[in-house]
Amino acid sequence: MSGDGPLAGVKVLDLMWVMAGPAASRVLADYGAIVVHVESTKRIDTARTMAPFLGGVAGPENSALFQSLNAGKYGVTLDLSSEQGREVALDLVRWADVVMESFSPKAMRAWGLDYQSLRAIKPELIMLSTCLMGQTGPLAGFAGFGSLASAISGFHNLTGWPDRPPAGPFGAYTDTFAPRFTAAAVLAALEYRRRTGRGQYLDQSQAEASLHFLAPALLDYTTNGRVLGPLGNRDPAMAPHGVYPAAEEERWVAIAVEGDAQWRSLCDLMGRSELAAEARFATATGRLACQDELDGIVASWTRGRSARELEALLQSRGVAASAVESSSDLSEDEQLRQRDLLVDVEHEVHGTIPVEGSRLRLSDTPAVIDRAAPTFGRDNHFVLRELLGYGEERIAELVAAGALE
Amino acid sequence: MLSPYRVLDLTNERGLLCGQILGDLGADVVQVEPPGGSPARSIGPFYGGEAHPDRSLFWWAYNRNKRAVTLDLDSARGRELFLRLVRSADFLIESDEPGRMAARGLGYDDLATANPGLIYVSITPFGQEGPKAHYAATDLTVWAAGGPLALAGDYDRPPVRVSVPQAFLHGCADAAVGALVALFARHATGRGQHVDVSAQHSVTQATFGATLYKPLGLAQGHRVSGGITYGPLTMRWVYPAKDGYVSVSLLFGSAAGPMTHRLMAYICEEGFCDEATRDKDWDGYYELVFSGREPVEEFERVKQVVESFTKTRTKAELLRAALDRGLLIAPIVTVDEVAASEQLAARAYWRDLEHAELGARVRYPGPFVQFSETPIAYRLRPPCVGEHNRDVFVDELGLSRGELAELEAQGMV
Repeated sequence: MSGDGPLAGVKVLDLMWVMAGPAASRVLADYGAIVVHVESTKRIDTARTMAPFLGGVAGPENSALFQSLNAGKYGVTLDLSSEQGREVALDLVRWADVVMESFSPKAMRAWGLDYQSLRAIKPELIMLSTCLMGQTGPLAGFAGFGSLASAISGFHNLTGWPDRPPAGPFGAYTDTFAPRFTAAAVLAALEYRRRTGRGQYLDQSQAEASLHFLAPALLDYTTNGRVLGPLGNRDPAMAPHGVYPAAEEERWVAIAVEGDAQWRSLCDLMGRSELAAEARFATATGRLACQDELDGIVASWTRGRSARELEALLQSRGVAASAVESSSDLSEDEQLRQRDLLVDVEHEVHGTIPVEGSRLRLSDTPAVIDRAAPTFGRDNHFVLRELLGYGEERIAELVAAGALE
Repeated sequence: MLSPYRVLDLTNERGLLCGQILGDLGADVVQVEPPGGSPARSIGPFYGGEAHPDRSLFWWAYNRNKRAVTLDLDSARGRELFLRLVRSADFLIESDEPGRMAARGLGYDDLATANPGLIYVSITPFGQEGPKAHYAATDLTVWAAGGPLALAGDYDRPPVRVSVPQAFLHGCADAAVGALVALFARHATGRGQHVDVSAQHSVTQATFGATLYKPLGLAQGHRVSGGITYGPLTMRWVYPAKDGYVSVSLLFGSAAGPMTHRLMAYICEEGFCDEATRDKDWDGYYELVFSGREPVEEFERVKQVVESFTKTRTKAELLRAALDRGLLIAPIVTVDEVAASEQLAARAYWRDLEHAELGARVRYPGPFVQFSETPIAYRLRPPCVGEHNRDVFVDELGLSRGELAELEAQGMV
């Protein structure tokens, strides 16, 4: 909770919603920052409407995804379109070290919550804005989800088969890793302020951050003029390299043969030592020239065995392989269980529920995740009274005015 | 922002991005490679197409803002020099198989004795411990083991990965955050610690909470080209345009429903659907389909209507409409289209770095965040093999030129 952990004493005002923003502030909460998440009960956070749902039923307090994105945070409901609501927001700005927001540039200006306005109140403020395309440029107003960012950044076109329309990575792909750049940037700005006392404004385009995950392909274009297209599961340097059918229906095993020794081990496992002796398969260059043939050979072997058995057999000989894990496999994966993939928290409505744990393991200062994500307005009183010092009368006025909705 | 700090980056091809993020944020990052250079330098594509350790574009992609030295950590003399570097370091990043650094006497416990403030970051496929800790692994197998692979691809073909390797990059970006959290812990305690990152664990984030389905007693969606199927409902994101493809988020509910209302109004206006289709209850459409009140075939027809419209328009026209009308449509772009983006140009995103060794200027992807006070500077182009040996060993550690020459002769550096 508060007062403990490496980021104890760091105060974050979280004006973010859906996925990419909240995923970044979640990390800060895991390690001790006090994160106050502001939301509206009228314009409901899209994440509250996203599956999976606790109890299997859609509803604003039922999204397990919202829970994982916002566990450990304090929740305040605030109507930012009302004068009183904005006054509370400004008091929260005075309280905070960092303001993180993911609205459109236009909305923040309309509310008087843009950086120019806020730095006048608090010059040492660190403020981060994160949106799909950044605060400036012809597409600054382009709003939407990470699936659009991954399309417009090139990920969709690079996920699929050369002879088919793009398949695209699952979901709002860039939302899953842009937040790590966000969190690193905020921590670096906090470190700079710690030493110098100076705040600043951080403008993050999720698309721009995401392009670092395609950097080799971008450099191949800017230097060599080569436009990479989708490769299916093929790799430019390894063969065989693919996803092969296992004996069970709709089960697969991923296999990557990294070198000639691994190729010989694979031949051995397949009971096909004659292939290991064939000169045309002896080197990666040779194998890359006959991938269709090799894929057929490997698949005819994998079809006879379970995905787990294949993984174990191949790993026993040092060949990189993994069953293609589905969600049900993952929650039971011993490797991930030991890293606290999921942890239990207590929820006001649903009792004990699982949320995703921290992906980082810090030996001396482990993550502490001891609060469920807020139900609507759960922490209104705590935040207004304890953090902002409001009296009961003031709070009652705000409630009566509808500012806390 | 991180200019007071020194990072020793020992990572191979699995960990390079972490140190680059810290370097972009201002840290002094010294890449420590084996004599002859890192194995990551043999990964293509290559500048000019010719395999060469100083021309790997994979290397260039993840080693900007670093200096580089070579040092043989398997020799006693190499380790002794390395320990001298460790004494003044704040961070060490490594990506060897678990136990390998300890076997050289360079594990966390060994180095913490020499430098208790050291933050020691390990990036591995599966983490330091556990039944899979010693698995052979590549991008593809980690992507499979962590969950995102199963969710992407055509239903009639195997699941498909992203054609540019992703899995270890997820681990690297997490590791940079972990390193900085540990720095704040050190401010409070004076002690460093071991940050253990698993790429498998890191990529689970790319499943959007799919790991929660089983514990909640729910069924996971099934991959389908350009979308996903949940029970009777096939959600589809990829639609044809006149000149390629676009991503359309045809979503419902109170937040996204209004945008679908606007999309259908636009399609109706352009004469591609009737008013009854336009005026469906898009806010409550999930419930309508799941309850059976709206037949699945009707939802399929709606998607056909959207397709019949999008394929008559170019990607640029659809993006323009998305901007003007507040629609959830984006072009599915190719790498050359990314490079030609007006948006990126308007924000002066791309950064050119001088590669004097080749007489070339090379265009790199730009800062991951624009900082108003401390902008990310592209200070150093990716280093050639051993480029900073003299800087580090002679100017900083105080070896004589003669000693460095001797080490070179012994194959130590």
